[in-house]
Amino acid sequence: MSAFAFANPAILLGLLALPVIWWLLRLTPPRPKTEVFPPLRILASVLKREETPAKSPWWLTLLRMLLAAALILAIADPVLDPRTGSLSADGPLVLVVDNGWATSTDWDRRIETAEALIADAEGADLPVSITFTADPTHDAVPASAASAREKLAAARPRPLVPERERAANAIGEALNGTAPGTLVILSDGLSAAGDEAALATLGGLAPADIRLIAGDGVSAVALTSATNSAETMSVTATRLPDAAVRSVSVSALDIQGRPLASGTLQFAAGAATATAEIEAPFELRNDFARLGIDGLATAGAAHLLDDGFKRRRVALLAGESGSDFQPLLQPLYYISRALQPYADLIEPTTADLSVSIPQVLERNPSAIIMADVGRLPAGAYEPLQRWISRGGTLIRFAGPRLAAAPSDDPLVPVILRQGERTLGGALSWSEPQPLADFPDFGPFAGMPRAADVTINRQVLAQPTPDLAERTWASLADGTPLVTTREQEAGRIVLFHTSAEATWSNMPLSGNFVEMLRRLVQMARAGGATTTSDGSEAASSALPPYRLLGADGILTTETGTAKPISITPGRTPSASFDHPPGLYGTEDGFSAVNLLAPGTELSAFQADLIGQSVVREALAGEEATSLRPHLFALAFLLILLDSLVVLFMNGAFSRLPRVKRAAAAITALALLLAFHPDPAGAQDAKPGDELLMQRLDTTHLAYVVTGDAEVDRLSEQGLAGLSEFLTYRTTLAPGAPVGLDIATDELSFYPMIYWPISASAPMPSAAAISRIDAYMRNGGTVLFDTRDQISSLDGSGTTSANGERLQAILANIDIPPLEPTPEDHVLSRSFYLLNDFPGRYAGSPLWVEARQEAAETNSELSSSGDGVTPLLITGNDFAGAWAVDNQGNALLPTVPADEMQREYAYRAGVNIMMYMLTGNYKSDQVHVPDLLERLGQ
Amino acid sequence: MAPIGEIVQQTSGSEVLSRAQSRAALVPDCMVEAKRIANTVIAGWHGRRKRGVGENFWQFRPYAEGESLSRIDWRRSARDDHTYIRDREWEAAHTVWLWCDLSPSMMYKSSFGTVSKESRALVLMLALAEILARSGERIGCPGVMEPVSARNAAERLAAAIMHAPPTNGLPETAMIRGHSDLVLIGDFLDDADRIMERLSPLARRGLRGHVVEIADPAEETFPYSGRTEFTDPETGEKLVSGRAETIREDYQRAYLLRRETLGDSLRRLGWSFVFHRTDHLASEALIAVHGYLSGMPAAAVAGGRR
Repeated sequence: MSAFAFANPAILLGLLALPVIWWLLRLTPPRPKTEVFPPLRILASVLKREETPAKSPWWLTLLRMLLAAALILAIADPVLDPRTGSLSADGPLVLVVDNGWATSTDWDRRIETAEALIADAEGADLPVSITFTADPTHDAVPASAASAREKLAAARPRPLVPERERAANAIGEALNGTAPGTLVILSDGLSAAGDEAALATLGGLAPADIRLIAGDGVSAVALTSATNSAETMSVTATRLPDAAVRSVSVSALDIQGRPLASGTLQFAAGAATATAEIEAPFELRNDFARLGIDGLATAGAAHLLDDGFKRRRVALLAGESGSDFQPLLQPLYYISRALQPYADLIEPTTADLSVSIPQVLERNPSAIIMADVGRLPAGAYEPLQRWISRGGTLIRFAGPRLAAAPSDDPLVPVILRQGERTLGGALSWSEPQPLADFPDFGPFAGMPRAADVTINRQVLAQPTPDLAERTWASLADGTPLVTTREQEAGRIVLFHTSAEATWSNMPLSGNFVEMLRRLVQMARAGGATTTSDGSEAASSALPPYRLLGADGILTTETGTAKPISITPGRTPSASFDHPPGLYGTEDGFSAVNLLAPGTELSAFQADLIGQSVVREALAGEEATSLRPHLFALAFLLILLDSLVVLFMNGAFSRLPRVKRAAAAITALALLLAFHPDPAGAQDAKPGDELLMQRLDTTHLAYVVTGDAEVDRLSEQGLAGLSEFLTYRTTLAPGAPVGLDIATDELSFYPMIYWPISASAPMPSAAAISRIDAYMRNGGTVLFDTRDQISSLDGSGTTSANGERLQAILANIDIPPLEPTPEDHVLSRSFYLLNDFPGRYAGSPLWVEARQEAAETNSELSSSGDGVTPLLITGNDFAGAWAVDNQGNALLPTVPADEMQREYAYRAGVNIMMYMLTGNYKSDQVHVPDLLERLGQ
Repeated sequence: MAPIGEIVQQTSGSEVLSRAQSRAALVPDCMVEAKRIANTVIAGWHGRRKRGVGENFWQFRPYAEGESLSRIDWRRSARDDHTYIRDREWEAAHTVWLWCDLSPSMMYKSSFGTVSKESRALVLMLALAEILARSGERIGCPGVMEPVSARNAAERLAAAIMHAPPTNGLPETAMIRGHSDLVLIGDFLDDADRIMERLSPLARRGLRGHVVEIADPAEETFPYSGRTEFTDPETGEKLVSGRAETIREDYQRAYLLRRETLGDSLRRLGWSFVFHRTDHLASEALIAVHGYLSGMPAAAVAGGRR
């Protein structure tokens, strides 16, 4: 190769056009400005001759000629290449050529370099031994230059890390004691395992001359790992550490190779690794099939993603939605905190399970987590089971509601005993139990024993023969803690303890995060699908499906690649038998990537060979193209020419005017920018006024049953109670509101009075579901069966109203109930009361049973600040409260005792105060203790 | 780059008139100095600061023997022992010819001036007409309007100009008779010799002349540069200058020399010469001309001449 050459010599013919350009430039004067000028006669006397310069000044023409010449030369691309070298004649030329992944970008130049060396050897009549380090077999016997050329032509870069040690051994054997003349290492510049031994072996051959030819290392950037976080996919890459600041853009491609998103790797100066965040919506990220560095076609710059990288979508459902001011007591708090980094969480917009379950199923989650959901609405079972059998994973947590639920729940993996087991209570010999070692099957296999977890309370499984193999975690005494059941393609998992920290401290432990993560990771990535194959091939051998070429492109050629056996939890490594690529079938595959996560590239240490090494660059590397300089020169000349032309036309004499115009434009822009938007926001909606009215004052509300007589009594009863409240307390309620529970907004009312009437039409399932949601959200329903007198007939059967109540409550997830205990807040929230009579006396007032009655930290479980979600009585409160327009009582009490009516009002006041103040008055329970303490 | 100068439309009469009236309102009544025509008998409206024929009271003076008894003011004489005569102030009128050049070169307006030369000339002329009419002078326009003495002479002059045929060059002087004042407003870009050829016969006829030269700033400062083609709006002649900035000084010298020559020649005739640029206020020129008309040139020096 000569020292100076043109890449495109044909362009030089363009120089012939220069004279034409010269002629044109000389000929065309600039167009004059035209000006009207009345005193032309005076001007004419001054202008002696007609001064029309038909020609540009000679130096301007020269400038433009230079410009044209520079452009033509730049396009012709002149190249300077000062390369020299000669081979030692002492022995054969030994070429060690790296053909690993980093060489694919400049492979042609490497071939060129090697060919030049072979040509030199041919000229010196030396035998040539050529070895490729990433090939599986080596034939390093020195042979003629022609055969070396053949080998060179057959060699291809491979998507592997070179194994120099094997190559060096092969050379040592092939040379068989002959000392090589020149040893040329055509390196990719990256160190690899076994370099030291390889260099020692090569050094031991005692070559007369050692040359190291390496590339510039620009292409030595490789992606090592990719992880999916909540918002982004973070990609880690590595490069040779010595380079300066560099920024590389990474693209995420789908399976068709179309770019979907991109990020930027910013290598700090001297840093070997960098991390890029690829921001994309979750749905889009699941379509990522491959990550690639833009403009770098190497196997290392490509990173394959498989199903394991798809983020799971997890839906969270809870028995009670809880209140925001006690977040730590919410069942979903710990679960969502644990899963947020690993999965996309769907939280339903409504607490109404009959709405929220179809809602979340529509989004096809991988897993649904239900925390303490006892009983589902009847319509929800069927779609949920269909989803599970198609491959969904249902993870449930126990809790008071589940413990109280009937045992025939089809969505529980084992048969549960009713009620829960308390460990370490006052009446129990047992202690809170730690966890046993995790069994060596199931998703928790390999996790260390969770020593910091103790379980205080759990639900118990009925023993069955296969219980042990369906148990993924158990307590130290052997009772199951996590059980599972496969249901067709899907799976149901039950944690026998609660998801918040009341039953155990497991949610506070790091093991909880890890357990949930493993469970969710086990769930199918795409949620439920119609095909029912799946993860049965847990550790079977996967055939190669698509392989990565050295240029970072997936091909269907599987060549000599062998099936790989992949065990979960271990990243498979690439080798010659298992080149990087996708293994498996179209339905499911695992990715094998070239570099293991955490790999850092480092420079090839050729000095270890122990002799002086001559370093050279690749052919063409030291050649400098003069093109950029010529383009820069042409650009400068254009600038200069523009300046000259501007100057000659007097553009600078009127600069102040330009400034004035600019100021005017700026002022105009500012005026436009600050012009106020005449269209104001209009977000009022119809019905807002009514809502505001309802929110302004507290209203008592009753359910319109459809039985006119009952509804009239309810309204008059609540009116009477409102009047009493206004008179006796600071609460002044508004007019009573009759609610159609199927349509009206319920959330404005602290309590809803529901007189049960068997003669009224049965409310629809949707309406009952809305009542259920209202109760979950902290509202209270006062059911009044008004049958105290009729149940006194001694028959012992349930009255018609009672049956209706049972029918209504059958589909509602209600907590365990108890008659109002003596020290309940209800009995002291305003008046001190012992019983709660209405029109009748004698029926107990049923409230939610307090879960932790035996413990000191009582009243903690319920979301409504300890307020029971429902009250049931048979005493016909409204009948006792009802007054007419004059304020006279409408109905006599039974027995006819005006004191009983007074007590009925007091009961109503207590109930309202309890609704509005919650457990505030429960401190009254401690008054005797406090007084006693003060006395001391 | 937008050209510096342009030829604008002829200014409408009503607009110029209103502007002229507003200018004229600023200037006090004009008192044409008319010592050489002391015996003109047409009565004007304003006093000559001396005793004579008129209507306004001038002074009481003691009766002298031989005077007509009918001139004694008996009411004044009854107040003491002497007899008095009431003198009245002499009031006289004078003819002033106003003329302005409306040739195409006057339509020129550069971006440095506020109005075109024609517009400014009309304003000056009508403002003078307004002032003089206010003082009771007779106002005429040679070739356009016979002298009239009317309070609305400015309006009538404006209407007459609007309907007059376009003229070129200097005015027809056939109408001008006797001793009058003549105010010529124009750009006077022709040769000074040619102008003087037309004007000197007038001066010999005893006319007192006042010449106002209106110039655009661009004509004086010559702000052109680069390769420029100049066009004469009257003849359409074209002239190309390769680098206009190089001839700026030569041009300015020639231009100012022409003005000096013209001014000197006029002064030799006993006429006054006022130079006015369109980027200055019209009132400056108005006051200068007013001063010359009133015979008080000292006051005019500060006004328009430079």
